[in-house]
Amino acid sequence: MFDTVKYKTRKMEPGDSFPESLYPEILRGINSFPKVLFYKGDIVTGLFDNCVAVVGSRNMTMYGRTVTRNLVSALCAGGITVVSGFMYGIDATAHASCVEFGGKTVAVMPCGIEMIHPPRQKDLYMDILQNGGLVLSEYDEEFPPCVWTYPRRNRIVAGLCKAVLVVEAGEDSGSLITAGFARKYGRRVMAVPGPVTSLVSAGTLKLIKEGADMVCSAEDLMRLLGHGKGQVIGEHFVETIENNLNKLSTKIISVLGKEPLDISMLSKILEIDIPLLSVEMTNLSLAGVICEREGMYYVS
Amino acid sequence: MLVKINSIAVLGVDVVRVTVEVNIASRGFPSFDIVGLPNKSIAESKERIKTAIQNSGIEFPSSKKITVNLAPAGMPKEGTFYDLAIATGIVCASKGIKPPEDSMFFGELSLDGSLRHTKGAFLAALYLEDIGLRSIFLPLNSANEAAVFTGINVYGLSTMGELVSHITGKMQLAPYKNAAIDTRSKHVSTQDSEVVGQEYAKRALEIAAAGGHNVLLIGSPGVGKTMLARMFSGMLAPLTQQESHEVTKIYSVTGKIPPGGSLITARPFRAPHHTVSYAGFIGGGNPIRPGEISLAHRGVLFMDEFTEFHKDIIEALRQPMEEGKVTITRSSMSVELPCRFLLLAACNPCPCGYLWHHKNKCKCSVPDVERYRKKLSGPILDRIDIVCRMRDFELKSPDQNVLSSHDSHGNNSEIKMVIDRIYAAHKIQEKRFDGVGTVLNSEMTNMQVGLHANLSVEAKVLLNRAVESYGLSARSYFKIVKVARTIADLGGAGDIEPPHIAEALQYKTSTL
Repeated sequence: MFDTVKYKTRKMEPGDSFPESLYPEILRGINSFPKVLFYKGDIVTGLFDNCVAVVGSRNMTMYGRTVTRNLVSALCAGGITVVSGFMYGIDATAHASCVEFGGKTVAVMPCGIEMIHPPRQKDLYMDILQNGGLVLSEYDEEFPPCVWTYPRRNRIVAGLCKAVLVVEAGEDSGSLITAGFARKYGRRVMAVPGPVTSLVSAGTLKLIKEGADMVCSAEDLMRLLGHGKGQVIGEHFVETIENNLNKLSTKIISVLGKEPLDISMLSKILEIDIPLLSVEMTNLSLAGVICEREGMYYVS
Repeated sequence: MLVKINSIAVLGVDVVRVTVEVNIASRGFPSFDIVGLPNKSIAESKERIKTAIQNSGIEFPSSKKITVNLAPAGMPKEGTFYDLAIATGIVCASKGIKPPEDSMFFGELSLDGSLRHTKGAFLAALYLEDIGLRSIFLPLNSANEAAVFTGINVYGLSTMGELVSHITGKMQLAPYKNAAIDTRSKHVSTQDSEVVGQEYAKRALEIAAAGGHNVLLIGSPGVGKTMLARMFSGMLAPLTQQESHEVTKIYSVTGKIPPGGSLITARPFRAPHHTVSYAGFIGGGNPIRPGEISLAHRGVLFMDEFTEFHKDIIEALRQPMEEGKVTITRSSMSVELPCRFLLLAACNPCPCGYLWHHKNKCKCSVPDVERYRKKLSGPILDRIDIVCRMRDFELKSPDQNVLSSHDSHGNNSEIKMVIDRIYAAHKIQEKRFDGVGTVLNSEMTNMQVGLHANLSVEAKVLLNRAVESYGLSARSYFKIVKVARTIADLGGAGDIEPPHIAEALQYKTSTL
């Protein structure tokens, strides 16, 4: 059985009045609000006062990951609760970054409260609960996730938040459904632009065309949320390293800064032999300046 | 009269001595029987022998009772090579001649009395002295295989008649002299080296060839995995004499040496299709025959579409890869076959293959990809030293120097340089492991890594840093040192320096 039993399941209903209602006020404002919500973890005061949903594609790219971490760090610094759907990809990254940066996060599950879905994100699930986060669901016991529970879940995600940020989304993705609910409920819809060639930016670009607010930086995000300039956590150490780089490293970083490449292409462009380039790539990776995923190199 | 002729029985790639006893009795009902657990091919030899003797102009004692016993009688026997031994026994027994001493008779007969190329001749000659014999009579077409060995007399026969003339003293056969052994190693043809780009993968294969490291290539369809593999077979150093004997033994037993062929000098390259059966892959059948892994002994086993192979087959690779041999046990016998090969595996990044493709859309969901990758992980990945991810490249404009950087001429000379480096690295390793029993860096045990790796202090510091930041396991640690050792050997360096470690880290297997 799951370790989730360790965390007691409680429930809240819109009609609760003793001693004070825990049911989020903002959620009651939508016309199809859930009649009951099950949850694990503690509802700290003000948890639902200032929520922003960070959602996106399951097929996250490295770009999506970087942007999510960056923007979530700003939200955490601003004391904003990050709500998402606990799916792998952008959702999971949003939760994980929030835990990492010490922010508050709420995971809305598409399945019964006693289930972890997707199951292999159990570690993240425990991390969320251990770091004062909240897990929510309108289904009890081990109700299995179904095709129709995902959009139902999305309505809660949108309903809980004053704004929805879509980082990466495919053309017919669930994230667009969340954005659709947000618009219906009168929430602000924000989207991160991406390359027009990227399949997982097609959805966000569509949202922008339809009038969603474009978020290009943490500054944009915090300004749109009325939080002034905002600040980003954990961006400083890279710069100090960059000062100590040799000529080749600088070249590599400037090329990778334009687009992620694999080592063969990089060797063609820089006209440097693979053995020499490999050495440099390892050193830069170990210094944390670049990172590698599935053979592609990205600037961290 | 009773005549005894020497022969052998093949067990895997080993032999045991067998005595073919032929008795021709005047009393009793005329018959021709072979006993001593012969299989179908030996039982059928009766007709071949009878006809061949008659067609050689020799009288066959049809009116007598002929009994042939293959001793020891309790061991099952297989092979058409008993034809000559049985026929010689019958001729000697019916004519009352004593067959030549210390001689083995080996070969398959044709109905016209001629001798056909027979598999296993190399093996028979190899163990001839071990079983206490000095001469071997075999088909002319197979004589080149046997004549590799000095100190034994090899007689190549084209017909049964020649043998009878020799035995009866009418004509003396001259021992067969080994025709010059074909020592030409396979050279990379221009066509094979026409893999565009993929310098990273080429370097990975260079390291693999130099140190005998197992490699996994991951890439979308069409990036050149198969072409690189083909090129790889030409990059390997030729077999040493000892290795050549080991390989020729296996190929002789399986009948893969052509008529007139001799020692195999080029490293084997086996590319079994992923539908290969378990017995065809590991070895088996009745009698037990070497499978693909043994045919790849001292060479390359290329497993294209690695993930498509049956799970049992991939799992079965574990022990043979560790020990360099496979023991196949059946109720009747147990056979040990050598199989020290270099595994070159290739697969797609995801089930549909286009996960990393710049243009084609991947149709796989994230769990699909994870399930697919799981097939690769675990024990088999532990035995792979180098993982190389091959991305396809986008041709952005005609003047981009992706295609034009090497014309075919330049490319060829580059390949030659690579091959020279590989051979030089082999020499260094030969010196290092002289008398240790290990041949290549990849075969080093953890203790040998400590003895021979020669890590510089700076290299150790770098490696420890990598272990920490990548969270590498102890096994990965040793794999990286081994690969770094090979990289250092390719550069002719004595100690492993930080650049060697840094390059080796590029091929680490831990992040699959």
